Amino acid sequence: MPTEVIMPKVDMDMASGTIMAWHAEAGQMVDAGDPLFDIETDKAAMEVEAPASGILHHLAPEGTKIAIGEPVAWLYAEGEEVGAPPSAAPAAEEVPAAPAPKEEAAPEPAHAAAIPAAEGLRATPRARGLAREGGIDLAAVAGTGPRGRIQAGDVAALLKASAAPAQGGALSITRAKGGTGTPVILLHGFASDAASWAPLEPALRHRPLIRIDLPGHGGSPTLPIPDFAALAALIRRTFTELDLARAHLVGHSLGGALALALADTRPRNIESLTLIAPAGLGPEIDGAALTGITRATRLESLAPWLRRLVHDETIVTDGYARAVMTARADPGLRAAQAGMAEALFPDGVQAFDLRAALARLQAPTRILWGRRDRIIPWRHALEAKGAVALHLFENIGHLPQIEAPEEIGKLLAAHL
Amino acid sequence: MAGNPQMLDANTPYAVRSYSPEALIEALRKMYLIRRFEEGAEDSYMRGLIHGTMHLSIGQEASAVGSCMALSDNDKITSTHRGHGHCVAKGADLGKMFAEFFGKETGYCRGRGGSMHIADVEKGNLGANGIVGGGLPIAVGAALSAKRLGTGAVTVCFFGDGANNEGAFHEALNMAAVWKLPVVFVCENNKYGMSTSTERSTAVKNVAERAAAYAMPGETVDGNDFSAVTEAVDAAVARARAGEGPSLIENVTYRWRGHSKSDRNRYRTKEEIAEWQAKDPIARMGRMLIDHGILTETDLPKIEEEVAETVAEAIAFAKESPDPKIAEATRDVYTPATARGAAA
Amino acid sequence: MNAENTPEVRTLSYAEAIREAMDIALAEDERVVLMGEDIGVYGGAFQVTGDLVEKYGETRVMDTPISELGGAGVAVGAALTGLRPIFEFQFSDFATLAMEQIVNQAAKLRYMLGGAVSVPVVMRFPAGSGTGAAAQHSQSLEAWLGHVPGLKVVQPSTPEDAKGLLLAALDDPDPVMIFEHKLLYKMQGPVPEGRYHTPIGKAAIRRVGSDLSIVATSIMAQKAIAAADELGKSGVEAEVIDLRTVRPMDRETVLASVRKTGRLLCVYEGVKTLGVGAEVSAMVAESDAFDFLDAPIVRLGGADAPIPYNPELEKAVVPQVPDIVEAAAALAQGRT
Repeated sequence: MPTEVIMPKVDMDMASGTIMAWHAEAGQMVDAGDPLFDIETDKAAMEVEAPASGILHHLAPEGTKIAIGEPVAWLYAEGEEVGAPPSAAPAAEEVPAAPAPKEEAAPEPAHAAAIPAAEGLRATPRARGLAREGGIDLAAVAGTGPRGRIQAGDVAALLKASAAPAQGGALSITRAKGGTGTPVILLHGFASDAASWAPLEPALRHRPLIRIDLPGHGGSPTLPIPDFAALAALIRRTFTELDLARAHLVGHSLGGALALALADTRPRNIESLTLIAPAGLGPEIDGAALTGITRATRLESLAPWLRRLVHDETIVTDGYARAVMTARADPGLRAAQAGMAEALFPDGVQAFDLRAALARLQAPTRILWGRRDRIIPWRHALEAKGAVALHLFENIGHLPQIEAPEEIGKLLAAHL
Repeated sequence: MAGNPQMLDANTPYAVRSYSPEALIEALRKMYLIRRFEEGAEDSYMRGLIHGTMHLSIGQEASAVGSCMALSDNDKITSTHRGHGHCVAKGADLGKMFAEFFGKETGYCRGRGGSMHIADVEKGNLGANGIVGGGLPIAVGAALSAKRLGTGAVTVCFFGDGANNEGAFHEALNMAAVWKLPVVFVCENNKYGMSTSTERSTAVKNVAERAAAYAMPGETVDGNDFSAVTEAVDAAVARARAGEGPSLIENVTYRWRGHSKSDRNRYRTKEEIAEWQAKDPIARMGRMLIDHGILTETDLPKIEEEVAETVAEAIAFAKESPDPKIAEATRDVYTPATARGAAA
Repeated sequence: MNAENTPEVRTLSYAEAIREAMDIALAEDERVVLMGEDIGVYGGAFQVTGDLVEKYGETRVMDTPISELGGAGVAVGAALTGLRPIFEFQFSDFATLAMEQIVNQAAKLRYMLGGAVSVPVVMRFPAGSGTGAAAQHSQSLEAWLGHVPGLKVVQPSTPEDAKGLLLAALDDPDPVMIFEHKLLYKMQGPVPEGRYHTPIGKAAIRRVGSDLSIVATSIMAQKAIAAADELGKSGVEAEVIDLRTVRPMDRETVLASVRKTGRLLCVYEGVKTLGVGAEVSAMVAESDAFDFLDAPIVRLGGADAPIPYNPELEKAVVPQVPDIVEAAAALAQGRT
């Protein structure tokens, strides 16, 4: 008889909780005490451990709100036959967090949520067939279709990407030589890449540096990113594959938002968090600049937008702009980023909100922001609670690590 | 078996004047066959050998047989849900009829039709029909074919008093008259459309009066009098064959049994039924043949015996016949390609 | 215009093509008779029979009284006994008056009689909306009849097929119901001379494409072609399949296309609910072609409402070219 995994009551007046993320997949063996899933209640977010050892099945989908005491998954002994869930499928009250469907999509939330996660992945028959043939786990595919449906193109893109040389999994990971102690993971911002950390790196060389290129950026393949949750899940998987007991996270802009989301779901692995002009703390963002940068095909159309990123525009020299344009020469990369901008920042608005996560942070956290940031208003930093250190810089724009690398470097080195 | 027929005169019934003793005896035999067939069917039903329901025409045998006297195998009939009598009258094989009743592959419809759809195309019976009034336009179509193709065939269209209030009746009679087609509409008025009497359902006293609306002759006759039926229908068939167009004959008769096996007989009295049973068309036919020296009293039991044997053999044949194959349940929905040459 | 030595192909209207088919049949086969209301000197409600009565006389081109049930039944009885009647309804809506004979008699006689007979009757139904004739003269009831085993139901969308399907229907031993779209009667198109068949049960691929399959019937096949040409401008290549026969449906052509494109859009004028597109969709969903689907199947059909009179409303309740373009683009781009 399989062991039931239930939505635990962790709060006095808690009636239900939402599954935020699973740490294991259907069919995976877990040991008792392993972190199994993250939940969020009205008041708190926490990690729930596996109540027993076994093979995980019938997972309630991420994003599902489930009443306390109701099963969210079942653990089976090895060799035990897995049929239908032993009791009724988790009764979901709602399905939040789905990307806003077009108006004609009239989903049946209760029904959709009632499907066990193992079968709950939305994928077309053709996509499923391609994944089977290609030996791809559909859970690793980000669907670009309505409601995150995985379509053949999504699988094909992943197959293409995995066929291309890419080390350490789907995303490009580069490491700086040398350094000891807890490694520092660097997450760059939208329309940038790992190379953007170069000015800051001299100050951080004493630690192992691990740079992650976001999908569709730098050396990473183009992956379909329907929404922020999919991107965060990708980063979470990449982080899991790095298999680090502890790490410092440094993220800039969109990378800051991803670092925050990662810290929220992997609190025990994060030693510290440094957010530089992070996204996710308010709706405003300069959509025109994002569109301008992603659309630019020539130096002349790119440079004016690059200058908007910084306060002292003279640092955007022709040489710098040309280097950026060269890095952006691939139309596929530009198209991928344009698609990502549309998904993450539709109509020039940040479509994701991490303020709740910011409030829950356990790791020591610093926020660094330039008071002349024209891309994301620095006042978003004021969302931080007292335990978060706030460093505001005069006469600095959206790129403190480039505009004032020594000053920023000194500050970081003191803590890392 | 006949003695010396009596001399024919003006008082001699039409049938005796017009048909040979052999033909008349055969007609009587058919009437017995119909009755024993239906009694046998009823018995088989009660023994659970028959699926579904059935509509018995016991008491109406003179109408069925008398109306077909002037027809050859080239001529057509269309029939009704109460059609066993028409089928036997047109010369059907009882074994194949019982086999159809029993749902067997050897039945007239290979077990696909049952009681309500028995047809015998070879003998010109285009089929019983489960829809009240369904056969009327089809009969007109058959008459149209006969006229266009010059086959000389006449179609006798049987229908009940219930059908005379269907739109199809009026449309069919009108077209047959407009186009002067060789068709004889024979209404078997047995007084009730299921439970509703003609008095309650039909504005005219006699269905035959409706012929006037379609400018054709209409005649109401005693449908339990074999000779009267024959006289009226024969004249109509002759008229049709001569190209003078359709006629409407109303045979007033009575069904002894209920509408179908589900009938609880709440709409008529035992007295009424008994009154009509006293007018038994078979007894009257037998009496007529005896009175005119065509048969003797002792001949009748012999005929009955012979008929009983035929019915018993037919039932035995049906019982022993194979059921259709389940795998062939959808056969004969469409004409197979191999048969198309013949059909085309 | 025909420099090459090919059979003569002229341009005829859809109505002329049907008339030519009937003319050929009447001339070649004495058993063929036309029956219907006002098909004689009047020439038919839509002038399809035209002047055939002058050529063949009233015994071959028969005006019936306004008696759809009786008329259809006479045609059934005549077909049963050796004639080859073509029965014209003035409007397909009037099939409702003759349903008894079509559904209970024509369709079932062969089966009920254990295969002893065939009913080679042809019935023609002017169908569809767009003429301002409102709810009782504009319906598309092909799915009604398509639901009945024993009938064959075709919907020609070109003059060539209108002639070829009628001649094929006449040579078919079973009842064939032909739904002709009234708005197509004036459509011009190439029509081969003489006798030929458009096979019943065979769909036509009107346009080859790789991005999605549009399976359409009757006038919607023409609209789908127009929509596909429009889509082609933006790089979406739609394959357009003109179903031509609703029963029996050309399963193989549809499935092969869906296996290729992975996307299916059904377009039909009849009411969407429980309509032809539902059958096409189910056929695909039940088949191995399901494995090739890369998006949910989409149906564009008539609204769940009677056909309204107001011209704008009338257009709104059946799919139009822009509707098809929009639905096809969304489907091809993975937005549905």
